[in-house]
Amino acid sequence: MPELWELSAEEIARRVRAREVSAAEVLESCLARTSQVEPLIGAYLEIFEGESRARAAEIDRRLAAGEDPGALAGVPVALKDNLSLEGRALTCGSRILAGYLAPYTATAVERLIAAGAVPVGRANMDEFAMGSSCESSAYQPTRNPWDLSRVPGGSSGGPTAAVAAGSVPLAFGSDTGGSIRQPAALCGVVGVKPTYGRVSRYGLVAFASSLDQIGPIARNVRDAALGLQVIAGADPRDATASEEPVGDYLERIEEGIAGQRIGVIREIDVAGLGGEVARNWQASLDRLAAAGAELVEVSVPSIGAAVAVYYVVATSEASANLARFDGVRYGFRSPEADNLADLYFESRGEGFGPEVKRRIMLGTFALSSGYYQAYYGRARGVLERMRRELDAAFGKAGLLVTPTTPSAAFRLGEKVDDPLAMYLSDIFTTPANLAGITATAVPSGAGSDGLPLSLQILGPRFGEAGVFRAARAFERELGWVVAPGFRGAEVGAG
Amino acid sequence: MALTPEDVKKIATLARLRFTPGEEERFAGQLAHVVEYIDQLQEFAGDVPDASAPGVRESEDLSQECLPRERFLANAPASMDGFLLVPEIKGGGGDA
Repeated sequence: MPELWELSAEEIARRVRAREVSAAEVLESCLARTSQVEPLIGAYLEIFEGESRARAAEIDRRLAAGEDPGALAGVPVALKDNLSLEGRALTCGSRILAGYLAPYTATAVERLIAAGAVPVGRANMDEFAMGSSCESSAYQPTRNPWDLSRVPGGSSGGPTAAVAAGSVPLAFGSDTGGSIRQPAALCGVVGVKPTYGRVSRYGLVAFASSLDQIGPIARNVRDAALGLQVIAGADPRDATASEEPVGDYLERIEEGIAGQRIGVIREIDVAGLGGEVARNWQASLDRLAAAGAELVEVSVPSIGAAVAVYYVVATSEASANLARFDGVRYGFRSPEADNLADLYFESRGEGFGPEVKRRIMLGTFALSSGYYQAYYGRARGVLERMRRELDAAFGKAGLLVTPTTPSAAFRLGEKVDDPLAMYLSDIFTTPANLAGITATAVPSGAGSDGLPLSLQILGPRFGEAGVFRAARAFERELGWVVAPGFRGAEVGAG
Repeated sequence: MALTPEDVKKIATLARLRFTPGEEERFAGQLAHVVEYIDQLQEFAGDVPDASAPGVRESEDLSQECLPRERFLANAPASMDGFLLVPEIKGGGGDA
């Protein structure tokens, strides 16, 4: 019989609601698993032991009183360290927010708690969600549960590694250019970037406000759908949260993709990537066809410019959003300054890490007088063109597919000194953020090196139900089990 | 375009960031490399539609309660009598 920590979120909630197990038992199983794997992977910045036990006990009390705590009753969840939970520390993986306590709770987190979920900790991330390896966290690197010498991806590396390692069945991160999907790919789990506006951003620390979305990370597609179901929907506290009805993501999720037209983007040359990624991609296309999908070719001519557009738009917005961290109102203040202007320069200079500084610099440059039109203006224009091309592609095929990443997990340290190489690991994920559409990363098996690879399924705005249906059909066809081997543990654990 | 260490100094001043001389040099190289990559956008000159802002529903302009002062100030690095405390506001600054 599987241990409780091995169960899906859906199964945990079912058993807890049926009072077959208690929320406390589930939590203890997950905390015990966490204490085994955490020394190996370093997924958390803080574990809420006391608070999570109190919350689980409260859920058990409510069940005993005949109440239904909700769709995620007793499900332990990890939260990326940029999601506010009132009274808890919130650092975004940055030294500049050391000592900051969230004064309110994010809408998405509020909805999780209202549905009976039990937040177990703050999970590690690249500083301010800027990075693709989790190495830019000011506090610690996180390691990939499949191979401890490799990165888990980023920026949501902590929550994703936690899910893959079995610490929690479900976690929540944010995705601005691939920050949920890329780590999900590298850790062999499912990650969802919802349509822009599907989830309220209230209480999510802003990186690039026109691109950021909160989304779920899970070991299977049904759990990811359930996780999004709980947090999705309108919110008066976020004007960009859409009032489009949410619908039921699980209702038709098993219906398969027989006859579904799925588009393959002509301009993405996966064969050119060679090796395991190209082989796995071809196998994935064969699986989609075996599941009954009709593969069609579509054209998105400007897609090759996505990373360039992304690194102008995202850094421009970041340079404005991060202006608020000035050593005056909250967070780190440099003790060196004896006047206000120096306080800004010193606090930001000491408080931000190198990747955040690079991006603030790039954004400041793109928005600066004389360069604005050539960079920011041009990038917005290309973005608009890409959005239209993708709309046209969705007219020919209900869904599109690409690999999620151009490679499997790379080694720690491999790309830290080459920012552009790091940025290019987002080459397939950035278009969905730019176009505001939804995309899900679903495991597509492993290469001969045993490292997971991933298929990305993209859907039109608010097309989540269709994407989940296809991802579920693909998952069924593949029969993937998330069972990381912690390669390298025998060396470090002794 | 090429970014010189002087350009980097100027951008750092606009961005209110202090760098060590070593950082300045390293960043100049790295940023130049990224800007060179981003310059591919120039190929789209005259070939892109006007960028439209994403649709945003305007909420009603109503006054609402904001975060209570004491909860806000609980995160402040320094405060006094219900106000934020900052050092001398004159002098200092960047290299500009």
